[in-house]
Amino acid sequence: MHGMTTYFIRRLLLIPVTFIAITFMVYAILRVVPGGPIEQAQLQIKMAMMQEGGSAGMANEQGELQIPAAAMEDLKKYYHLDKSIPVGYGAWLWGIMHLDFGRSYVYSEPVLDVIISKFPISIYFGLIGYLASWVICVPLGVTKAIRHKSGYDTATSMLVFLGYAIPGFVACLMLMVFLGGGSYFDLFPLGGFRSDNWAELTFFGKIVDQLHHTAIPVFGYIMGGFATMTVLMKNSLLDNLGADYVRTAFAKGLSERRVIFVHAMRNSLIPLTVGIGNALGLLFAGSFLIEKTCNIPGMGLLSFNSVVQRDYPVILGTMVFLVLIRLTGNIFSDVIWAMIDPRIRFGK
Amino acid sequence: MTVIIKLIETAVLLAAGYLLTFRAIPWLYVRGGTLLGFDMKVAPHWEKRMKRFKTIKRGYYSFVAISTLFVMSLFLELMVNNKPLFIRYGGHFAFPAVAEWTDGILFFKSPSAVLKRSDYGQTGDGEVDYRLFAAEKRDPSVFDGQVKALEAEIADVRAQLAVKPGPKATPEERQDYQDLQETIPDIEADLKNVTAAKAAFADGKASIIMPVYPYSPREHLMDMPGRPPHKPGADHLLGTDDSATDVFAQLVYGFRISMAFALIVSFTGYLIGIIIGGVMGYFGGWTDILIQRLIEIWAAIPFLFMLIIVAAIVQPTFLLLVSLMVLLQGWVGISYYIRGEFYREKARDYVQAAVAMGATEWSVMMKHILPNSLVPLVTFAPFSIVGTIGSLVSLDYLGFGLPVGTPSWGALLDQGMKYLKYYPHLILTPSIALAVTLYSVVMIGEAVREAFDPKVFSRLR
Repeated sequence: MHGMTTYFIRRLLLIPVTFIAITFMVYAILRVVPGGPIEQAQLQIKMAMMQEGGSAGMANEQGELQIPAAAMEDLKKYYHLDKSIPVGYGAWLWGIMHLDFGRSYVYSEPVLDVIISKFPISIYFGLIGYLASWVICVPLGVTKAIRHKSGYDTATSMLVFLGYAIPGFVACLMLMVFLGGGSYFDLFPLGGFRSDNWAELTFFGKIVDQLHHTAIPVFGYIMGGFATMTVLMKNSLLDNLGADYVRTAFAKGLSERRVIFVHAMRNSLIPLTVGIGNALGLLFAGSFLIEKTCNIPGMGLLSFNSVVQRDYPVILGTMVFLVLIRLTGNIFSDVIWAMIDPRIRFGK
Repeated sequence: MTVIIKLIETAVLLAAGYLLTFRAIPWLYVRGGTLLGFDMKVAPHWEKRMKRFKTIKRGYYSFVAISTLFVMSLFLELMVNNKPLFIRYGGHFAFPAVAEWTDGILFFKSPSAVLKRSDYGQTGDGEVDYRLFAAEKRDPSVFDGQVKALEAEIADVRAQLAVKPGPKATPEERQDYQDLQETIPDIEADLKNVTAAKAAFADGKASIIMPVYPYSPREHLMDMPGRPPHKPGADHLLGTDDSATDVFAQLVYGFRISMAFALIVSFTGYLIGIIIGGVMGYFGGWTDILIQRLIEIWAAIPFLFMLIIVAAIVQPTFLLLVSLMVLLQGWVGISYYIRGEFYREKARDYVQAAVAMGATEWSVMMKHILPNSLVPLVTFAPFSIVGTIGSLVSLDYLGFGLPVGTPSWGALLDQGMKYLKYYPHLILTPSIALAVTLYSVVMIGEAVREAFDPKVFSRLR
């Protein structure tokens, strides 16, 4: 067995441990704090009974409505609240392993269905954003490295630092002020995934409409990794340009273009793949800041709203996906890294 | 004219802030250290780095600007406030802004009570309207307006009283008439008060010193014409938000709170990170492996999401938010670097020498290895500040940050989103402030990195 295979197997084995540690922590926090599902359900049932004139419930002396004890027991049983925290967690985990994530209070649908319905939207924006940042950052980093310390390098550095300084969602907000109609130019819609009249649009109209709604959020996504990626590209190319094998390549008479783009470039791209794991998380989970700002109904907005509305099954459900994607993503990017760069050897 | 005076005042304040930050404080630091018996000389290699930092103009000037502004912002209550630095009327005098400053910054509760209007020649109840007081001082004809208004009110009441309730009037109407009659002495007392005040002001018995920008980030300016939010204008440089609170005042107080927050979080985070990373790197072996696994688990927690869950349950205060930020994120990144540094330094001869001379483990770690591992700390600090400010703004923007009513950039952004179409200033002001501040901090970081860790790329052509 290779050292590295054992290393990755060890890391894979660590996933369940980490997963259980995190979800247990979140579960315990949600159980301990007030405002949990029982109080929520109590409130809902109370409201419902008030509307019915209190026929189902019994009024106590203060005239308050009480939930019948039997209904209460049912509720507690449903959310495993009749058990202690570890046992309740165990029951929840058992459900997760059987893909039973419980029901959302807000959507009154199985959590899994809700989550799956939101995935494609986040993936759409995340994927376009990620691909676009490669398309922008790699050429920018390469040209900056080739013309290191020139006027072009200094000028674009300003841009890169600005990109680092401004959070993506703030950039989206500023774009919406300038381009979203209202005070300045009316070029793009103010958020949303598609227009309301999507169904009536022609095929071509649909494409235009979709792209229209894509521009601003994708800009925000690009801003997120723009600076790091560009600087990483630039520095790694610069490092490689000083390496011995480049000297050799020059010495045997290759053109500068060939040395840079065929020899140095290949090696310089390797560090960029480290970000894939992180990007994978963003791809599936979405950025809830950007999704909230641009009002995109994806995973990010779902997880944010679930916290706001105390929709506990959804909070836990999105947490499950978030943590799993992040953990596997990190390992995945290390595997890719080790595959394309034979010098990288983990576990030694 | 007033504009020019304001500009001069601002310039003087800036100059004072610069002198305080780059002359007085360093002098005090060195003097205080020498008095306490420390050797305050800078090590030669640090001196060299500092010199190199100064030659990188963008970064150095950003550093001067940001630190001057931050030190100045510690005195904001004296510069941007609706309360005066000093007020005197007849035998009464007080220092309301100074009292607020000592309350807020020095945590020294001054016994100052709310100044009553009647003590300062104003009509009505509640706290003195300092801006009105200042206006009266500047221009005594303000009194004429008040006198005229009160006289008109008396005339109006008299006119209404002229129609006596007839024999068929209901008890309510009689009551109303009686109430109206009783207001006359009150109004007359007000009139007397105002005329007395006018005389007192003319005699030089009143004086007031207002801060440069006489609005507070916590007051609601309900007497402004029109409905809030207001657009930027001469009085309110950046307009007001929808609760009629001055945006400029919120912006500068928001700068202070963001910077203070980021500095505290970075500092405590680093402290914890140094200790944990140091232990990992120095002891190695099982300690290292165990803590590494724990950190791996810790780092997999979606941090912002976790913060929101906690903040949704308990209303966070400044301190709670600081501790959460430190606990969940602040220490993790730096502990990796410190671990690496300690790992490397541990094998050096000077450590062996120290151990051989009988130094304790703690003193080897803190006195010998740590000073040689500071480079990553210093170079990462500005970027950690950028990240922390970004996180704070995000949390405030989502509504899970500092308590409602705290002046903050994120809360302004959230407001701005509601009025995106017609009041762009609500978004643009905090975004530009954020961008400029963070950009300057990034510049500092870049210059520090360049100065501490200069990279020379060799390449063939």
